[in-house]
Amino acid sequence: MSPLLDVRDLRVEFATRHGTVTALDGVSLRLEPGETLGVVGESGCGKSITALAIMGLIPMPPGRIAGGSIRLDGEELIGAPERRLRQLRGRDIGMIFQEPMTSLNPVFRVGDQIAEAILLHQDVSRDEARTRALELLRTVGVPDPGQRIDAYPHELSGGLRQRVMIAIAISCQPRLLIADEPTTALDVTVQAQIFDLIRDIQDRLGVAVILITHDMGAIAEMADRVAVMYAGRVVEEGPADAILDSPAHPYTRGLIGCIPAIDPALAALDRLPPLAEIPGVVPPLHLLGQGCAFADRCIEAVDICRKVAPPLTGRGHAVACHLHAAAAASEES
Amino acid sequence: MPAPAGDSASAPPLLEVRNLSVSFPMSRGLFGPKRVLQAVRGISFTVGRGRTLGLVGESGSGKTTAAMAAIRLVTPSDGQVLLEGRDLMALDERAMRAERRHLAVIFQDPYSSLNPRNRVGAIVREPLDLMGIGSPGERESRVRELFRLVGLRPDQMALFPHQFSGGQRQRIAIARALATNPALIVCDEPVSALDVAIQAQILNLLRRLQDDLGLSYLFISHDLGVVQHVCHEVAVMYLGQVVEQADRRRLFTAPAHPYTRALLESAPALDRRKSAGYRRKAAVEGDPPSPLAIPAGCAFAGRCPQAQARCRTEEPEQTVRDGHLVRCHFPLG
Ligand SMILES: Nc1ncnc2c1ncn2[C@@H]1O[C@H](COP(=O)(O)OP(=O)(O)OP(=O)(O)O)[C@@H](O)[C@H]1O
Ligand SMILES: Nc1ncnc2c1ncn2[C@@H]1O[C@H](COP(=O)(O)OP(=O)(O)O)[C@@H](O)[C@H]1O
Ligand code: SF4
Ligand code: SF4
Ligand SMILES: [Mg+2]
Ligand SMILES: [Mg+2]
Repeated sequence: MSPLLDVRDLRVEFATRHGTVTALDGVSLRLEPGETLGVVGESGCGKSITALAIMGLIPMPPGRIAGGSIRLDGEELIGAPERRLRQLRGRDIGMIFQEPMTSLNPVFRVGDQIAEAILLHQDVSRDEARTRALELLRTVGVPDPGQRIDAYPHELSGGLRQRVMIAIAISCQPRLLIADEPTTALDVTVQAQIFDLIRDIQDRLGVAVILITHDMGAIAEMADRVAVMYAGRVVEEGPADAILDSPAHPYTRGLIGCIPAIDPALAALDRLPPLAEIPGVVPPLHLLGQGCAFADRCIEAVDICRKVAPPLTGRGHAVACHLHAAAAASEES
Repeated sequence: MPAPAGDSASAPPLLEVRNLSVSFPMSRGLFGPKRVLQAVRGISFTVGRGRTLGLVGESGSGKTTAAMAAIRLVTPSDGQVLLEGRDLMALDERAMRAERRHLAVIFQDPYSSLNPRNRVGAIVREPLDLMGIGSPGERESRVRELFRLVGLRPDQMALFPHQFSGGQRQRIAIARALATNPALIVCDEPVSALDVAIQAQILNLLRRLQDDLGLSYLFISHDLGVVQHVCHEVAVMYLGQVVEQADRRRLFTAPAHPYTRALLESAPALDRRKSAGYRRKAAVEGDPPSPLAIPAGCAFAGRCPQAQARCRTEEPEQTVRDGHLVRCHFPLG
């Protein structure tokens, strides 16, 4: 099967006051139809820039696609005319962002915004678009859709606004849905409702999903495969179970280790042990040096780590770490 | 002058809140009827020395308002607050100012809670300046000490907030909160804006400071994993009331209120896998009712999977057994 989405060696640069920085440094991702790819990593690691690049929304300038390829069903998107990209966005690629308030227009009724999205890509009458909008609101589980269709965004709760965003995103039955931290601003109860809805839509429409999140719990329940990003690179990639059960990159291990997991066994203790920590912070892009970008925070770093950036190696479960590569090589011999 | 931990049985708890209520008058246009928003409805709790009480609940449930009223930063409409037995509500402005040094707050957003135009050394020193504590020289050395205490370098005192990462800014906010050597710190979602890796660093720091300084925390969070890791007791809020309160072990291993159970079921967890067929069903539907129109009966009835006819007409009283408080007609287990 050929992949629905095939991103290869993507490089994105930004002109900043510190000079040109590389926000994405050779990112490769593949996504099969109907599959969910989870993308995790701390803030600033390039998750959103990856999403924006796929949608052709990198602000240029200051941004620049410095190399690589993005193919949707075989069609190259890098360098495609803006007209074509606009056509693909909203029709073939749906998007959901973290804060629905900023992506919904505050001065229009939500029903009109959904209808507008339909009219943009489909040849239907206004009345038909409104009827569809109503159906969509029902599909995404908005209670009283007949009333809510005429509401303004600020009259809805965060969870309902996110449902409206999802209604817009799926209004034209996209093949790919990109959800960038769709539940970060929401309560867990509402988060559960939104994930339930995304799974439901996926079952019904067979849409592939890129779920960007920093929540490993969300990854566990939503993702088939996972890409872990650090400082503009994919540092580990593989099936969700492999990543969660046997993380190979020290960064992935750290990310999983520092989660304060709900655990009745722990809750019963008089005193809980401290959480595992990853020391330090993600380095700013303009200070990235030659070697492994994680070296300053890595407790396992060795000499070569500071000199040579480790390539992503391995099929199925790929890892970008010198130590892992050495261990894998000695296992093979 | 925080009293040492391990006070005698007869000493009053550090903070005792009795029947606290907060309402906000809402004007509805010029001629509309006067309405009242009941943000906090008769809650009681105590915080012991060296202990952490967690306040959890959905957005809008009244956590922040309750905590701020408990330290008189918001004016309660009813109820009593005792700090080491002293009735805070009975104090005049001057006497209250004198109590301020025992109380401090850390907010969620380390970006907006620090004045961007001040050097961080001055920001940390400000509470000492405002309360006229110590000579200028003593204040300066106190700030140095505080920087070290929270894991910052004293040579960073001359920098501005924007020169720090989110986690470092939260360390600055913690240093500032510690300046007057308070006994109680209200932590309002102190790690919600941080990545998990940084969150773990800050949570470990807060716990270490508690151990070393005998601090008490009133800790607001909507992340139950975080609450489990830092709180000794937990109060669950729903629409302005405490619906369940217990020590950590009981709350996590034997939740009795349907809402608490829904929160625990909604929480993401690493072992709930898509590959194993896990599908998080939304444990509760919809949103909580508006605090402007509190329903008759149990406030949770509209979303409660256990609700029966009685729940919609008769408000449940709170019952307390072995220190485990529940407000439900049909508690679980
Ligand atoms: N100054 C105010 N005037 C009017 N209403 C207010 C005011 N402050 C809070 N409220 C209302 O009181 C209720 C409780 O708010 P509060 O901020 O305490 O909730 P919370 O539990 O802290 O929520 P979150 O998790 O979103 O921080 C909400 O309905 C809120 O809109
Ligand atoms: N317009 C821009 N100019 C310069 N740098 C940018 C711009 N947009 C993003 N970046 C940088 O690119 C990196 C990746 O950002 P982003 O993809 O938003 O991270 P995240 O993983 O949090 O979504 C960050 O270091 C960010 O500062
Ligand atoms: S390459 Fe070296 S520094 Fe980088 S993650 Fe592996 S061991 Fe750590
Ligand atoms: S009183 Fe009734 S509606 Fe309320 S929580 Fe208990 S069972 Fe549910
Ligand atoms: Mg982002
Ligand atoms: Mg709050």
